[in-house]
Amino acid sequence: MGIKFEQVNFAYQGPDGQKYLALANINLPIHETGEFIALIGETGSGKTTLVQHMNALLVPDTGSVTILGVKVTKEAVRKKQIKLNPIRKKVGLVFQFPEYQLFEETVLKDIIFGPKNFGISDAEATARAHDIIKVVGLDESYLSRSPFNLSGGEKKRVSIAGILAMEPDILILDEPTSGLDPMGRDELLTVFNRIHTTLNKTIILITHDMNTVYRYAKRALVMRSGYLVYDGDPRALFSRNNIDNWNLETPDILSLQQAITAELGLKLPHIAHTEEDLLAMLEAVLS
Amino acid sequence: MIEIRNLSFEYQTGKPVLHDINLSIEKGEWLTILGHNGSGKSTLSKLIVGLLKPKTGSVVVDGLTLSHETVHAIRRKVGIVFQNPDNQFVGVTVRDDIAFGLENLQVPRDDMIERIERFAQKVGMTEFLNKEPHALSGGQKQRVAIAGILAMDTDVIIFDEATAMLDPKGRRMIVDYMRQLNREGVTILTITHDMKEAVLSDRIVILKEGKILLDGEASAVLNNRAMLEQSNLELLLPLRIRHALTERGVRHPGLEALLWASSLNK
Repeated sequence: MGIKFEQVNFAYQGPDGQKYLALANINLPIHETGEFIALIGETGSGKTTLVQHMNALLVPDTGSVTILGVKVTKEAVRKKQIKLNPIRKKVGLVFQFPEYQLFEETVLKDIIFGPKNFGISDAEATARAHDIIKVVGLDESYLSRSPFNLSGGEKKRVSIAGILAMEPDILILDEPTSGLDPMGRDELLTVFNRIHTTLNKTIILITHDMNTVYRYAKRALVMRSGYLVYDGDPRALFSRNNIDNWNLETPDILSLQQAITAELGLKLPHIAHTEEDLLAMLEAVLS
Repeated sequence: MIEIRNLSFEYQTGKPVLHDINLSIEKGEWLTILGHNGSGKSTLSKLIVGLLKPKTGSVVVDGLTLSHETVHAIRRKVGIVFQNPDNQFVGVTVRDDIAFGLENLQVPRDDMIERIERFAQKVGMTEFLNKEPHALSGGQKQRVAIAGILAMDTDVIIFDEATAMLDPKGRRMIVDYMRQLNREGVTILTITHDMKEAVLSDRIVILKEGKILLDGEASAVLNNRAMLEQSNLELLLPLRIRHALTERGVRHPGLEALLWASSLNK
């Protein structure tokens, strides 16, 4: 088992001394490999808090999170019975707006910073950087450039390369495509999908974009006010009536198919999953 | 309302970010500027409100040419809502935050209190007036930012990727305000790469590598696949389907009409 939440509760202490419940009785198993999970829910629902428990940046108030065999509890951390550094190397977390955290003179130095911190030699880290820059869709010439003169999308890719260079088993991304233009977004999603399919790595993606969820995710988790209210197939999620209650939106492809069926009475054999799928059905029905 | 003439800008010598931009924005118009990351669209919005100084060219707002002397007067006419709501808070409470702009304008106290109440109510944030901005969601923060601008009674509001970080609910709410304000006569300038947002405007300008690539009526620009694709943008889904069916020789006038209508559904 990769990561397992058992009866996890967590509250933030507000500036007024009051406690704000951020996670309520979370039970959640995640496999070490082969998952592509979309984590969705409105702002403040607890998504970021949840993923910060996945690499022990936060520790549950009660309950436990077992991460790649290490059982993280408040008590174990307080008594220093467990080492957190190895966990953070294996579970790579890319924060929202990772580009704000670039600080080195060159892209290469930024990418190897993390691995070197985890004890990887300079030569090994540099070799990895040369491979990984290509994985994120940039060429090696970027390595000698200053990260500050890159576009938003390029900076995001460099920061993701820095996490990938640590060769994590599980990759978590907090809204990685927000602020990117459509092509930048699609390219980055293709990168994640490639990492997932070729390396069989588990990917966990926080997003507000339902088209991304519908297109790429194999499993959807929906958070609402600290509770995990849905854990299952994304396609089944969007066919339910309660998505409005969770402030989600219907993916474009589904609303379009619904409009076509309702307004033109065109009967299509199944619910489209991709654009190509919808096109093929329309072509078959109309020609 | 806004006249931009021969405007050029560079952060580094010899690397122009904006190159000879000419653009007129009419009073009451809703204009969207679309462009890839790094196309210069946010730089343009910063030049309009005098946060950056042009290398060459001029910005004229309501008859006033932007300069060191006029920048404060121009900021009374043009408000801007930025992408990251966390980067635009200065006050301890929501009330202080809305008051900030008014204090700069030296609005009398009674008038200020009245304006704060009125505009907080307008964006549905009255109950949050005494809360800390940090306790708010992204959408709520953006609504407070809008209230602050409305309180200053500006003629133009620039939304600089103001919905990019919001969840679907927050996004819908901000887009509804854009519509409402535009109906009330406020000139709106939206900077985005969200095609669903762009569709709401009257006119769209595409910026590419610091130059204006296309300037036209919204529906015409949104259907121009070649121009959109070379700018890292995309056709809206129904239009993508429409183009693809045409290419495959599939004709169905009813479906084509539906795809067109559902794309441009305002």
